[in-house]
Amino acid sequence: MMKTPLCELLGIEAPILQGGMAWVADADLAAAVSNAGGLGLISAMNADAEWLRTQIRKAKAMTNRPFGVNIMLMSPFADQVAQVVVEEGIKVVTTGAGSPGKYMSAWREAGITVLPVVASVAYAKIAQRSGATAVIAEGCESGGHIGELTTMALVPQVVDAVDLPVIAAGGIGDGRGMAAALMLGAIGVQMGTRFLTAHECNVHPIYKERVLKAKDIDTTATGKRLGHPVRCLKTPFSRKIMKLEADSSVPAAELEAMGVGALRKAVQEGDLEHGTFMSGQIAGMIHKEQSCAEIIREMMDETEQILRGAAKWIK
Amino acid sequence: MNNFETVAKVLAEYKEIDPSEIKMETTFEELGFDSLDIVEIIMNLEEAFDLELEMHESLVDVKSLISYIESLQAKA
Repeated sequence: MMKTPLCELLGIEAPILQGGMAWVADADLAAAVSNAGGLGLISAMNADAEWLRTQIRKAKAMTNRPFGVNIMLMSPFADQVAQVVVEEGIKVVTTGAGSPGKYMSAWREAGITVLPVVASVAYAKIAQRSGATAVIAEGCESGGHIGELTTMALVPQVVDAVDLPVIAAGGIGDGRGMAAALMLGAIGVQMGTRFLTAHECNVHPIYKERVLKAKDIDTTATGKRLGHPVRCLKTPFSRKIMKLEADSSVPAAELEAMGVGALRKAVQEGDLEHGTFMSGQIAGMIHKEQSCAEIIREMMDETEQILRGAAKWIK
Repeated sequence: MNNFETVAKVLAEYKEIDPSEIKMETTFEELGFDSLDIVEIIMNLEEAFDLELEMHESLVDVKSLISYIESLQAKA
């Protein structure tokens, strides 16, 4: 049986976190991943305190196992939702889009394990200084907002730079990826895209179909000109954005405006003309819908088998 | 060196340009800084000023950076 220090740290069986994907990571998905032995996460995205509280209570009714909340620090409701996780007794918080320093003392006092998502060594160092429990080093293979480094290059550099446990994210789609992440020095992984096609994931059927049909080269990064690149599937909408981005006469404000609400349109409406279908590069590795339990079991079996077999290279 | 000169020096060194190109009104966008660059710059500024800085979304230009640094110096 495979076990890493992350299992003990978070009180879970499989060292797998489900990514805090905005509009996607709701109570249904979080509870399903936690029930399967991983750590499910609810994304607080740009929602207010009451929405998050309702989702947390819904998830509590569906699972007795721990689950976490992802807080996007740029959210206009960040202060509110930061308080809700304390009030609702959430034990794990992951953070994105900034440094969680200002909430850290309240969270640590409440016994919350804080896991900032970082995309560079400097980010990881700031997270460590502010009191993070561990960091999630996310490479640019992942879907959604991305940094510049790949997981292969980022994870070992973060492992060397901080005295905290490191969780690898980005580009991990099966047991081979998880085994590789452990070899790079991580104690576990976070996966987003793999869970997009889970039975318990509520994204629009067109979204799932697009992920299932995607090939290796079917994602792209839009928003580079705006300074915050986003990895998504190539669709009529993302192709249009790419074209406008390359045209310097199109003002940045117009590009920003086009992105507003676009993820919701993809997730809830499957709108290929106006929606942003965020997805990681491993979409090309996903060929079927599975339950979260099947995904986690498969990940664990594959990883264990690969790690056991790794000795074959030593002569 | 006053605060502006120190900030200009740090930014200019990071970007490998002449400090005279940095003005009070210069924005991070004009300098082509993304969020990863800003984290690096924050670390460099911490060293230059011997202060602990936090990331803030309000930090968008030289002016906001300096007023943030001055608010911390006032507390110190």
